[in-house]
Amino acid sequence: MDNIALKASGINKYFHDPVTMQVLRDINMEVHKGEFVSIIGKSGCGKSTLLYVLSTMDTDYEGTLTINGTNTTGLSLNQLAHLRNESIGFVFQFHYLLPDFTCLKNVMIPALRLGKYSYAEVEQRAYEKLKMFGVEDQALKKAGKLSGGQQQRVAIARALINDPAIIMGDEPTGNLDSKNTGIVFDLFRQLTVEYKQTLITVTHDEDFARRSDRIIEMADGQIRR
Amino acid sequence: MKFNVNTEIALTYLTSRKKQTLVAAAGVMFGISMFIFMQSLMKGTNDYFEKMSFTNTPHIRLFSENKVADNHMLRTFLNDASEKILINPKQLQQSQGLTNPYGIVAQLRRNKEISGITPQVTGNVIYTSGSVELPGNIAGVDIEEENLMFDVQGNMVAGSLHDLNRVQNSILIGKGIADKLSLHVGDNITVRAGNGNLVIMRVVGIFATTVRSVDDTKSYANIARVQSIIGKDRSYVTEIKINLKDYNRANIVAREIETITGYKAEDWIKANEQLKAGFKVRAVILNSVIGVILLVAGFGIYNILNMTIYEKIKEIAILKAQGFSGRAVTSIFLQQAVFIGILGGIVGLTLGFSLTYMVSRIYIGAGSLKYLPMSFYIPHYLEALMFGILTTIAAGYFPARKASKVDPVTIIRG
Ligand SMILES: Nc1ncnc2c1ncn2[C@@H]1O[C@H](COP(=O)(O)OP(=O)(O)O)[C@@H](O)[C@H]1O
Ligand SMILES: [Mg+2]
Repeated sequence: MDNIALKASGINKYFHDPVTMQVLRDINMEVHKGEFVSIIGKSGCGKSTLLYVLSTMDTDYEGTLTINGTNTTGLSLNQLAHLRNESIGFVFQFHYLLPDFTCLKNVMIPALRLGKYSYAEVEQRAYEKLKMFGVEDQALKKAGKLSGGQQQRVAIARALINDPAIIMGDEPTGNLDSKNTGIVFDLFRQLTVEYKQTLITVTHDEDFARRSDRIIEMADGQIRR
Repeated sequence: MKFNVNTEIALTYLTSRKKQTLVAAAGVMFGISMFIFMQSLMKGTNDYFEKMSFTNTPHIRLFSENKVADNHMLRTFLNDASEKILINPKQLQQSQGLTNPYGIVAQLRRNKEISGITPQVTGNVIYTSGSVELPGNIAGVDIEEENLMFDVQGNMVAGSLHDLNRVQNSILIGKGIADKLSLHVGDNITVRAGNGNLVIMRVVGIFATTVRSVDDTKSYANIARVQSIIGKDRSYVTEIKINLKDYNRANIVAREIETITGYKAEDWIKANEQLKAGFKVRAVILNSVIGVILLVAGFGIYNILNMTIYEKIKEIAILKAQGFSGRAVTSIFLQQAVFIGILGGIVGLTLGFSLTYMVSRIYIGAGSLKYLPMSFYIPHYLEALMFGILTTIAAGYFPARKASKVDPVTIIRG
């Protein structure tokens, strides 16, 4: 029980626009602490949708979701926001930085929101995260001025800033070359081993998936294996 | 700089859109400075007219009023207790004067709220010089007391009011009388009272108020002299004029005096009802104008924040995905509104003051009105700031609430 980072049972989800269709069908899954899980499947099979449900951002589903032993189904939006802030790091499919802020600020903002560390400490930690992904020289540039690959690495750094128990990524290496994909993979691997952080990533990169601990294959809104 | 993260985000949004921020702040600035300017102008003119009205009217006038005959009088007269029916009752001529006026004056002087008090005798007279006759009225006063209360000196255009006590049988006349009868200081004027008494008096001074009807009819003489001209004894006084330390309490004090003396005490508000009506009308006009200005400023902020939210909707979704609660998002956008309000407010206060000051230096030179009367009244500035900030918060609240309701998944999914 206390070894389980995330547990989803009987998740069903529907879209009603333009016509009612079921996107997720009876999803049951468990992810252990420190596990590195890849979700693969054809485009449109519901991977992103599942990830949004698992991240607690999407609350419009049937079934129950438990994160670190807390049943999140039915929590208020404010409670979920706090839970995400503290325990979940999310890397979006299209990096999504705040373009008016510097890269450093982008990484700092979730930590400033959490308020666990002082401003100076947050700045220091944000700088270290940027360094891990080799973008520390871009720290003081406006996020909008970076290349796609650089933005993606800043976005990953941002997802790690609060040392979240679970890191979720929607094709986090989609924009990176093989060298940087390698760096990110090794880092993710290190986080799971050294800090027992849990990783759930949607990926199209077969090699990336194969090297992770477990592959969840989806098809047509269901888990194949 | 160390801010709360919401504040930091709010400030970054404001500074990354400088032009819109400045336009919105300019709206607030305009609203607040106009608020201050117009309030200052209105209070200034109102105060001026109020003060002007006090150069002729005392805060309270005490006199004896004619009464309609009633049963009580009849019973007293007949000395019985029978019930009579009065048909067509008439106004009764009271003796017009006040009984024991100097006793009343002495008693009222003890009242701490009263700053000045002086008795007066008024009589209708006809001024004559050569073959020209002019109707008017003569006020018998203690000129030094009168001067303390109504600044007669400030209206003098020729001669000296103090000569009224020094020169026997002397008179101060209004400028209208002097012009019509072509009289100068040192000339003689014939004054005829209603009872036929005829006296020749020496003009020792000429005064000009801003009120034409006063200048054309009024004259001052010693109270004792007027009493004798109209054929009354030394205890005859037609009215007692009273000034207060705080003229806004006139109606309260007037009622007290009425119960103490039993005579009619009329406060200046009753005597100047059209002045007060004018104040009210002006206040309505002014408040409508200010309301419209603040409304426009409010719409400016509302619009600009709405646009920001429309543009930043993706970023709001990201913030929420990262754990910013609805309340945090509301605070980010409300703070933007408040910063715009404070920026516009501070500049607006300064501008409002400068505008008021500049206009107060404009020379008018009409009568005793040399410069435009502007008041510099601190509560106006506080009110302006309060209204400005309330407007911005109200205008910012709705866009901010809209932002807080953004559903992150819908936006991020695209
Ligand atoms: N907002 C939406 N309304 C209706 N259908 C949607 C919406 N978002 C996604 N879908 C549909 O749901 C299915 C799953 O989408 P998604 O989870 O994005 O797939 P994946 O990430 O695996 O490519 C797709 O068929 C997509 O067309
Ligand atoms: Mg997807």
